[in-house]
Amino acid sequence: MKGNVIKYEIDNIDTDVIIPGQYLKVHDYAELATHAMEGLDPHFHSKVKSGDFVLAGKNFGCGSSREHAPIALSCSGVKAVLALSFARIFYRNSVDGAFLLPIEIEEHAYKSISEGDELDIDISANQIRNNTKNQTYKMKPFSEIIGKIIAAGGLFKYKPEQD
Amino acid sequence: MGKTLFEKVWDSHTVVAKPTGPSLIYVDRHLIHEVTSPQAFDGLRMNHRMVRRPDLTIATVDHNVPTNNRSLPILDQTSAVQVQTLEKNCRDFGIRLFDINSPNQGIVHVIGPQLGITLPGTTIVCGDSHTSTHGAFGALALGIGTSEVEHVLASQTLWLEKPKPFEIRIEGKRRDPCAVTAKDIVLSIIKNIGTGGGTGTVVEYRGQGITDLSMEQRMTICNMSIEAGARAGLIAPDEKTFDYLRDRQYTPKNYDLLVESWKEHLKSDNDSKFEKQFTLHIGDIAPQVSWGTSPEMTCDVTDSVPSPDDFAKGDDNQKKGAQKALDYMDLKPGTPITDIRIDRVFIGSCTNARLEDLIEASRVVKGQKISPNVRAMVVPGSQMVKQQAEEMGLDKIFTDARFEWRESGCSMCLGMNPDILAPGERCASTSNRNFEGRQGTGGRTHLVSPVMAAAAAIEGHFVDVRDWI
Repeated sequence: MKGNVIKYEIDNIDTDVIIPGQYLKVHDYAELATHAMEGLDPHFHSKVKSGDFVLAGKNFGCGSSREHAPIALSCSGVKAVLALSFARIFYRNSVDGAFLLPIEIEEHAYKSISEGDELDIDISANQIRNNTKNQTYKMKPFSEIIGKIIAAGGLFKYKPEQD
Repeated sequence: MGKTLFEKVWDSHTVVAKPTGPSLIYVDRHLIHEVTSPQAFDGLRMNHRMVRRPDLTIATVDHNVPTNNRSLPILDQTSAVQVQTLEKNCRDFGIRLFDINSPNQGIVHVIGPQLGITLPGTTIVCGDSHTSTHGAFGALALGIGTSEVEHVLASQTLWLEKPKPFEIRIEGKRRDPCAVTAKDIVLSIIKNIGTGGGTGTVVEYRGQGITDLSMEQRMTICNMSIEAGARAGLIAPDEKTFDYLRDRQYTPKNYDLLVESWKEHLKSDNDSKFEKQFTLHIGDIAPQVSWGTSPEMTCDVTDSVPSPDDFAKGDDNQKKGAQKALDYMDLKPGTPITDIRIDRVFIGSCTNARLEDLIEASRVVKGQKISPNVRAMVVPGSQMVKQQAEEMGLDKIFTDARFEWRESGCSMCLGMNPDILAPGERCASTSNRNFEGRQGTGGRTHLVSPVMAAAAAIEGHFVDVRDWI
């Protein structure tokens, strides 16, 4: 999985800035995507490209349980969010609907990756390769259930009896 | 080794458990509302699935309903469609709905306990993060996303990873309980442990500072567990809990038998182990006011707005966050909190719109008039709260002081209905989140208790309510 980074060097990016409340009435995902990150970065929609990664600090996705948050990012083209940590509901929402991958990274990776860097993420090896800086970082492995839901392609495709 | 209360509730609801990895947890009560349920019902239809237990699923409309005249149609077309969609889904799948004209309508986390739907030792889920509120009754109550709502509708279960138990002890007695409220306690906790402090845990609140609180005050505490990042928050039930739920509309008929069993089982064993602990002494805590755009950006009303350096204590991201918050809030470091002037006051939300909250605020307001520069509204948490308040004459106290007295709903807590701030407006709000744009694009939110909000409405700025009442 290869893409470029859009970096926000702050903690606690909440779901109200990822998709403001007034858009929770929007059912058209393409329209929802045009408002992704609107509360934090009004230029996000014009700069995001399909396959991009969002990078941020601690507690990404805190606040409301709205699944519209990972949906809006996903429909904007974002394939993964890399953060120092995630709020739990956002984390589960991201994988339950197979919207995007929430990837926990270490402090040194967070500091060394810059806006625009090209990353190659290999989740089977728990490895992130920074092609721009010629560096490699470890990602925190997914837990058993999260890994299985991701592998199945979402909560409804996960069949526990096949374990 | 003994078990914590959370572990007992978890274990008694485990359908499938694996030594390492997830558990399949049975859900006793599923609360749904108009905003996070439509896609879940679409999913059911697409896959030709039924609702597994419509009798354990309860619906109401709260997030986007207007709070003015209920005899008029909903003007906002998209809101009207969401409300009608829920009505149709409930009809099609046989789910009990408290619709916009029901006397039981209200914020889902206010009506659950009021109707006796919330019970000790149960598991409760809802597509709303503030589901943690129900933990005040010793329930394990989790906020979930829409995919999980669909999973619960279809199977009445959820795959979950077991969170870790976190003990938060509240010790001591508040010196001035009229001015220093449950809201000030929970804001103090979040200020101390941070918005990520509870990540991956279920908090059990314990200690004299908790047992002293009424049920409605305990709900305010559990409500904001999510603001500390916790998966849920709960409190062991006691006589206050059992009294509160007795003889409610949906209280089970064998209630006394249940109480006997709850008394025996629903407490953490003395030899149980918490993975994390925090203690707050509330003997001399002050009323709290948030100054930033995260609930952890909170200080005493007697303090001044901190500088980003003072707030961050050497953490770069925290410093950037604080600077960004100050810019958004248009505040300068060193400004005394009591000098901050406000434009709007919102007394409402699942955090602070129960009868006791309105009674406390009305005591401050009685015989006064709000500042001419302030627009203030009271939005009761449910139609039942509204009716009870009106029977006590609270509506008259508020309207005499020039507060607007509204119908129930989430209203200005999250800016989905017409009750929003204009860009740049500053609001003293009894809600739970001060995120950028939460109450309307460009709106500035200060989180406070109902007493502080009421006093600020009258003075036009924050005051130390301990001296003021």
